[in-house]
Amino acid sequence: MKIFYLFFLAVLCSFDSYAQQKFTISGSIKDNQTGEALIGAALQIEDKLRSGVSTNDYGFYSISLPKGKYTIRVNYVGYAEQRITLVLDSSVVINWKMDGKKELTEVVVASKRKDDNLAKATMGTEILNMKDISKVPVIFGEKDLLKTIQLLPGVKSAGEGNSGFYVRGGSADQNLVLLDEAPVYNASHLLGFFSTFNSDAIKDATIIKGNSPTQYGGRLSSVLDVKMKEGNNKDFNVSGGLGLISSRLSIEGPIEKEKSSFIVSGRRTYADVFLQAAPDFKDNTLYFYDVNTKANFKINDKNRLYLSGYFGRDVLSFSNSFGIDWGNNTGTLRWNSVVNAKLFSNTSIIYSKYNYNIKIKNGETDFNINSNIRDWNLKQDFSYYLNPKNAIRFGVNAIHHTIAPSTFTGTVNNSINKDGRESLENAVYINNNYKANDKLTLDYGLRFSAFTLLGGTTYNIYNNGVKTESIVLAKGSAGKTYYNLEPRLTANFRINEESSIKAGFARNTQNLHLLSNSTSSNPTDQWIGNSYNVKPEIADQLSLGYARNFKDNTYELGVEVYYKDLQNQVDYKEAADVNTAPDVESELLYGKGRAYGLELIAKKKSGRLTGWISFTLSKTERLITGINNNNWYNAKQDRTHDLAIATIYQITPKWSLSGVFIYNTGNAVTFPTGKYNLGGQTIFQYSNRNVNRMPDNHRLDFSATYERPKKGRYQSTWNFSLYNVYGRENAYSIAFQDDPNDATKTQTEQTALFRWVPSVTYNFKF
Amino acid sequence: MKSLVKLIAIAFLFTGCKKVIQLDLTNNADKLVIEGNITNQAGPYFVKITKSVNFNQTNTYPPVTNAFVVITDNTNLRDTLTYAGNGNYKTNKLIGVEGRTYTLTVTAEGKNYSAKSTMPAFISLDSLRLSYSIANGKERVNVIPRYADPSVLGNSYRFIQKINNKLDETYYVFNDNLNNGLPNQRPLRSSDPDLELLKGDQVQVEMQCISPDTYAYFYSLGQQSGGGFRGGSAPANPPNNIIGDALGIFSAHTSQIKTVRIP
Repeated sequence: MKIFYLFFLAVLCSFDSYAQQKFTISGSIKDNQTGEALIGAALQIEDKLRSGVSTNDYGFYSISLPKGKYTIRVNYVGYAEQRITLVLDSSVVINWKMDGKKELTEVVVASKRKDDNLAKATMGTEILNMKDISKVPVIFGEKDLLKTIQLLPGVKSAGEGNSGFYVRGGSADQNLVLLDEAPVYNASHLLGFFSTFNSDAIKDATIIKGNSPTQYGGRLSSVLDVKMKEGNNKDFNVSGGLGLISSRLSIEGPIEKEKSSFIVSGRRTYADVFLQAAPDFKDNTLYFYDVNTKANFKINDKNRLYLSGYFGRDVLSFSNSFGIDWGNNTGTLRWNSVVNAKLFSNTSIIYSKYNYNIKIKNGETDFNINSNIRDWNLKQDFSYYLNPKNAIRFGVNAIHHTIAPSTFTGTVNNSINKDGRESLENAVYINNNYKANDKLTLDYGLRFSAFTLLGGTTYNIYNNGVKTESIVLAKGSAGKTYYNLEPRLTANFRINEESSIKAGFARNTQNLHLLSNSTSSNPTDQWIGNSYNVKPEIADQLSLGYARNFKDNTYELGVEVYYKDLQNQVDYKEAADVNTAPDVESELLYGKGRAYGLELIAKKKSGRLTGWISFTLSKTERLITGINNNNWYNAKQDRTHDLAIATIYQITPKWSLSGVFIYNTGNAVTFPTGKYNLGGQTIFQYSNRNVNRMPDNHRLDFSATYERPKKGRYQSTWNFSLYNVYGRENAYSIAFQDDPNDATKTQTEQTALFRWVPSVTYNFKF
Repeated sequence: MKSLVKLIAIAFLFTGCKKVIQLDLTNNADKLVIEGNITNQAGPYFVKITKSVNFNQTNTYPPVTNAFVVITDNTNLRDTLTYAGNGNYKTNKLIGVEGRTYTLTVTAEGKNYSAKSTMPAFISLDSLRLSYSIANGKERVNVIPRYADPSVLGNSYRFIQKINNKLDETYYVFNDNLNNGLPNQRPLRSSDPDLELLKGDQVQVEMQCISPDTYAYFYSLGQQSGGGFRGGSAPANPPNNIIGDALGIFSAHTSQIKTVRIP
C-alpha cells in the first residue's frame, strides 16, 4: 500500500496536510427489508453538512475524521433518515440498514441526497429510480428505462416508440450502455420498440452526458450505467406482470440468509399469438425474450462475489423463406473487497456478445448471413478514501474484441473471404474527487487508452475508395496502436445554500464504430474497430451549468450549456454496398462534427404532485468529406426544440395518475427539390443534405395506477394507460411517389405508426 | 423490409395510417438531365436531354432541343448526333461493340458536359426460370434470370422487368461480390410487396452487362426507393459519370431480352 500512497502523492497535488490524527468510519448502507445495497446513499456529519460522503456502486462508504464527538446521519430517497451520535477515538465499521418510507411520492429522476445537485461535482448526470418508473406512461404499458430517459434534457429519442437515443448530438452508437459493467451492443428489441432492460431486474440507472469520470471510457456521448438488483437476501419474493404485449416473472431470495441471494427475472412477448389469429400471417413468427440472472455470495465481512448474466433474443420469420434472430449475451463476475477501511477494490471479468443470423430460403437458394461482436473484458478498480477531502479512484481495464463482419454461407457465398478481426483495447485511469473547501469541489482525472490491431487478417488502405496498400498481419502479431489521453474535469462552486455553478471539460474517445446506412437502427448494422483507415473518434465537450433549489429543496432548477467538437467521424459513402462489399472499409467516408445546446430542467421532488419539465435547444452538424459537397450539414438527429413534461399525481394512497407530454421539432431530412424522368421512371432530384424538417412531433400520454391494498404478503397494482391521447398522427416516414391515381402527377404520403394505443398491465408481488 | 414493418404493425395492432400531405418544398429544379445508352444491338442509339421540374408540377419534362451532342469511341470514330424530337438525339454511324470506350460530349445552354463509359463483355442470358415460394399462405412466383457469371471478379448486371408490357419500377442490379463465377440463383423480387406475377402474365426481362459506374447509379436509386426499415439511406442524387453539373447517366452496356409466360 505504501507504494500506491506515494504514487498518488506524486500524481495528485491536492493534499492538505493534517497534523491531527484521523480515524475512519466505514461500512455499508443497505435496505433493511431486502438487503439490497443502496447506491449513492448520503452520509453526513451534523453541523458539517457539506463534508458528507456517499456510498459507491456496492453500497460501501468511508470517511476519515479527527478524534471527536459526532452526530452522523444517513439519507436515501424514499427511506427514513437514520442518525447516531458517537465518540470517535478509533476507526469503526458501521453498517446501516435503512427502512423504506410507507408512502413514497418522490420524483422518478431523483438525487439521493436532497441537495445532491448542488453539492456534487457532477455535470449532465441524472439518476433514475426504478421504483417509480412504473408510473410514467409508456407505449404498450411496458415500463421502459430507455424510453423514460428520453424525457430528460439532452437525450433524444431515435424515433417514435423507439428505445434508441441520441445524447447531445451524438449518434446512437456513441452511448456506452452498461448492464452490470458489461457493454450491451444493441440495447433494443423488435427493431427498437422495446429496450433490452427488463425493469423488474433493474435496481438503478445513471446517465452521464459526456462528463463521465475517468473509470468510464470508450464512447463519445454518454454513459448509461444500469445495475441489476442483487436479490433479496432475507425473504423469497415472486413478482411479475401481465400485459397485453408481454409478461414478466421474477423470483428472488436468499441462498443463505443474510449472506447470499439470487434473482432470476424473465420476460417474453406474445404478439405472435395475435399473428396466429390473422390467416395471412399465421406462418410468421415474431417474439423476443430475455432473462436476467444474478447471484451474490458473501465470502466474509470484507469480500463478496457477484455473478450476473443477461440473455436476450429476438426471433422473427416469414413462413420459412426469411428469418432473422439477434440478441445480446452478457456475463459479469465481480469480486468486491474491502481491503481496509479506506481502500475498496473491485475486480471484474466481463463477457459480452452480440450477434445476428439471417436465414433466407427461396426456391433453389438457401443461405445464412451472420455477424457477431464478442468481448472479453478485465477490470480492476480501486476506490481510495484518502481523507475527507480526497476520494481517489484508479484502475486498469483490458478488453479483447473479436468482430466477425457480415458473412454469407450456404448456397450463396462471399466471393472474397471476409476475416474476423481481433483487437485489444486497454486503459489506465485515475480520478480524484477533491473537496477544496465548503464551496468548491473538483472532480478531475486522466484516462490513457490504447487500441491495438491484432494479427490474423489483412488490412487494406484506401484513398478515396481506391485500394493503395495491403498490410498482412500474421496471427499473433500486432499492428498499429492508437494512443489517446483523455483529461476530464468537473468543478462545482456552491454560491450559497440554494445555488451552485458548475463547469466541466471532458475528452472522450471511441475505438468501435457502428456503421448504419439507414436513417434508423437495424439489428444488422455493423460494428467495426479502428483500422489503418478508421481512426479513433474523439469528442471534446465543454459545459457550464447553474443549479438552484427552492423551498427547502422541493423544487430544483438546472441549466446547462454545452459545446462539443467531434473528430474522426465515420459514415458510408453514397451508394455504399453495405452487406456484400468485399471490404466494408472501401465504402467509408470520414469527417467531423459539432454540437451545442442549452438544457433546462425544473423538477418538483416531493408532495402529491411530482414531476419535471425538460427543454433542450440544440444544434448538431456534421462535415464529412464526400457528402453534401464537403459542406456542413445537419445531422439526422438535429432537432432544434425538444420539450418533455412528466408528472405524477398521487390522488389517494391507492390511486395515482400520471401524464407525459412531448413536443419536438422534426428530424433533419432531405426532401426533393425537383424531379426528372429516366428510362420511363420518375426520379427525384435533391440538393443539400438534411436541410428540410419532418413535421413537428407532439403527443400526450396518460396513465392511472391502482395499488390494491396488501393482502398478507400479496401486493398488486393495475396500470391503465393511453398512449397518444388526442390521436396525433406523428409522421413516421414521408414518401415521395407517383400519384397512383394520376400518372401525370407526384404526391407526398405520410405514414404514422401509432394513434391511440391503450394498454393494461397487472403487476403482482408476493 | 417494408413487409417487416407491416408484420410488426399487425402484431401490435398499430392504429397507424397513411395520408397524402402537402409540404412546402424548396424548388431548385431546372437542371439538365442526360440519359445516354449505347448497346451491343444495332443502332441508332439515343441520347435524351431534358430538364428537371419542380415537385408540384406535372410530370412533363421540357426537352432541350438545340444541344450539340457528339460521341467518339476509342477507335477514333466520331459521330455528331442529330436531333430527332422530344429531346432525343440520334447517332448516325456509331456501332456498339463490347470492350469499346465511348465518350459523350454535350454542349447545351452555354455549358459543356462530358461522360465516358466502357461496354463490358457480353454474358448470355441463358433462360428465365420460375421460382416458387410460399409467403403469407400464398404461393408466389418470381423470375430467376439464369446466366453464368465468369470467374473473373467485377461483373455487374442490370435487369429490367416488364409484366404484360408494364414496367416493374424496381431497380434490379446485381454484381458478383457474392457467388463469383457461379450460375445465378437470385430471383427478381420486386420492392413493391403488392406486385405479384399471376397465371398467364407475360414477363419480359432485359439483361444488361453494365459498368461499375452504372451499377452504382442504379444501386443508389434502388437503395433510396426500396426503403430500409425507416426510409432507407439519406436521399441524394445518385453518383453518376457525367462531368459538369448534370443529372442522369451515360451507359454503354450489352442488352439481351427474353420473355416467359407464367403457366
